[in-house]
Amino acid sequence: MEFELDDDQRAWREEVRAFLAENFSPELLTLRKERGYESNDGVLLDFRRKVGEKGWFGLNWPKEYGGLALGPIYQHILVNEFEYWGAPGPDLTVTSVAPMIMRNGTEINKQEWLPPIARGEITCAVGYSEPNAGTDLASLRTKAELDGDEWVINGQKIWNSQAHVASHEWLCVRTDPEAPKHRGISVIMVPIDTPGIEIRPLITWDGFRTNETFFTDVRVPRTNLIGEVNRGWQYITGALDLERGALTNAGDLRRAVDEIIEASRLVRSDGTRPMDNPDVRRRIAQLEADVDVAVLMGMEAASLLETGGIPTVAVTAEKIFSSELRQRIADLGTQMLGLDGVLSGSDPFAVPGGGFEKLYRSAPLLRFGGGANEVLRDVIAQRGHGMPGYGR
Amino acid sequence: MRLTLTEEQRELSTMLRHLFADACPPALVRKMKEPGSDGIPTDLWKTLAKAGVFGIAVDDQYGGEGAGLFELGLVFAEAGRALCPTAVYDTLGFAVALARLGSAEQRAAYLPRLVAGDLRATAAVGNPSDAADLRPGLVAQRTGDGWSLSGTLMFVGNGATAETILVTARASAFPEPERTIGVLLDPARDGLEVTALSTFAGDKQARIELHDYRATDAEVLDRPSTDDLAWVANALVALQCMEMVGGATAVLERTVDYVKVREQFKRPIASFQAAQHHVANMRIAIEGARLSAAQAVWWLGRGDVARRAVAIAKMHASEAYKWTTLTAHQLHGGMGYVRETDLHLWSERAKVTEIKGGTADVAAGWLQRELGLAR
Repeated sequence: MEFELDDDQRAWREEVRAFLAENFSPELLTLRKERGYESNDGVLLDFRRKVGEKGWFGLNWPKEYGGLALGPIYQHILVNEFEYWGAPGPDLTVTSVAPMIMRNGTEINKQEWLPPIARGEITCAVGYSEPNAGTDLASLRTKAELDGDEWVINGQKIWNSQAHVASHEWLCVRTDPEAPKHRGISVIMVPIDTPGIEIRPLITWDGFRTNETFFTDVRVPRTNLIGEVNRGWQYITGALDLERGALTNAGDLRRAVDEIIEASRLVRSDGTRPMDNPDVRRRIAQLEADVDVAVLMGMEAASLLETGGIPTVAVTAEKIFSSELRQRIADLGTQMLGLDGVLSGSDPFAVPGGGFEKLYRSAPLLRFGGGANEVLRDVIAQRGHGMPGYGR
Repeated sequence: MRLTLTEEQRELSTMLRHLFADACPPALVRKMKEPGSDGIPTDLWKTLAKAGVFGIAVDDQYGGEGAGLFELGLVFAEAGRALCPTAVYDTLGFAVALARLGSAEQRAAYLPRLVAGDLRATAAVGNPSDAADLRPGLVAQRTGDGWSLSGTLMFVGNGATAETILVTARASAFPEPERTIGVLLDPARDGLEVTALSTFAGDKQARIELHDYRATDAEVLDRPSTDDLAWVANALVALQCMEMVGGATAVLERTVDYVKVREQFKRPIASFQAAQHHVANMRIAIEGARLSAAQAVWWLGRGDVARRAVAIAKMHASEAYKWTTLTAHQLHGGMGYVRETDLHLWSERAKVTEIKGGTADVAAGWLQRELGLAR
């Protein structure tokens, strides 16, 4: 085991930090905080292009697909830094969709999609959930039927974040309605501007936008199907593990705990300081100890990925732990400020860095999103400890 | 950065797991805890010495393997799985302390014997309930060319059977300013009285009282720095955290084995989601303890005092081990509550180690100091 970055890894982290210092301004951070994941427009798009020019969206891919062929640990370091500084970095297109194409795609799939993803030109909305297929994803009903050399798609997706800014839909569809539910699913890449797609906004508690998206006789070339037909379930369950690893990178949690520690030293409007309360100090220490574990879990998952596997139990544990930690961070961040904690971050009387109410509203998402923690606990018990399934 | 064990480290762990499984069965553990037992597992001791376990982190010039503290941590983890009698930990801890604090002569006098399995020893550095409190429990007065020591030490691990005890004392030698010294005590000498304590876990701890105990200069570990003492105290905590991770993992595994075979309502109770969630929660807590303990012992192995990492490790290990055993009792029901099933052996060790060195609350205090939130 090695807990310290080696010289090359340290140099890499410095390179990433220098890039962010130069290109990610406080104004961009404000914009990013306002728009959340809707990061593909205006100046944020320019920033994204700069990241693409560095080749950092494909940094751990083979060179033949436009990548830099650096290992998962390098990706981990980069994502951590981006998250810490609040910069929009590699998203699910890069951390989940692309690895899945690389693992399972046909040669045509790889040549067609990977280089533009690496350049930052293609971003995908991930079309998995449907109104009646959430945690029970395999019950999805959006269907694709072959008509000559084209797939014809009909159905509806929900929680389809970024669909209104993405270039493509990474779409999970049913291609064999007769087969058992896990064996009739395929994945198809759909350009978002294809006729027949309608996107309607859904505004979430954290103030950001997600979407419901309707597909009516949407036609795409047959070659847009990823890998083999009816093998999609295996692909996406593998990708969900990768997604979990990426979603739960603890860089932003590390930042949030740092901000809590800073805010605890500031004087509230009632003249007291949170850090003078021993119970608050005790809870801050717990958050510090826990965020350290979240960081270590991320480092371990990256180390395991480096050996070529999908570390299912490690990333599942990490996802559960860090998403529940996120809620505890937001909870203390608001509580310790007294009623100052309910002020919007933008209120002139808000404690500097005291916008924990925003985190409080955004934190629930990651506890049920990317796999509900209840199901993920089953995954740890069943795949990590061989406990029996019960017909889920 | 690479948080996976090397091939060599994995092989070491596997070898140790087999060794402890064979040589340290629950029957031995139970026997060692009995009131009449001296807590010294003679045959196991020989096996460990033969396998080179006592010398794993000792320099080769003293007959050791010269591996690092991290590898010693792997020993503690595997020993913890099997609930190895604590005299082994205390002797290994003494070697770690002496290697850092002792002179070349002192190391040469004790370490080769220890490596060969011919020395039982222990160390008592600072407050046993708060490892960051390094104030010595003894005072030492200069008397001619030696020292006179007085005072009382509580909770000295295996203090009743150790052949030498490394302690610290507040030394006055007029006109020099007061300082902390280390002293190697000989329990057979006049002026030292050992009283075995009765603990609920049956582990061997002792109260040691000194009245005008005379030590020579050759027995004094002079002028250890604050960082040296803190490093030793932290190393003992971090190694104990590794032990706790091993113990918790063993409890998790035996609990999973049990719920897979225990049937109610015509199905194994392992198939109930409530049981699976208990298991997942145990696993997640143990993962946190495992990673943070490994981190602490790794940085200490690099010579770092690692105050932050040790505090975090102790916070996680204390709660993870304890709650793993308590949840295991819940999943075992009555089958884990009767003494003839062995679960309570781990539960008792979990409670002792939770408190020993400092509870999660105490360790959180260390962390608050590291964060500049408290003094």
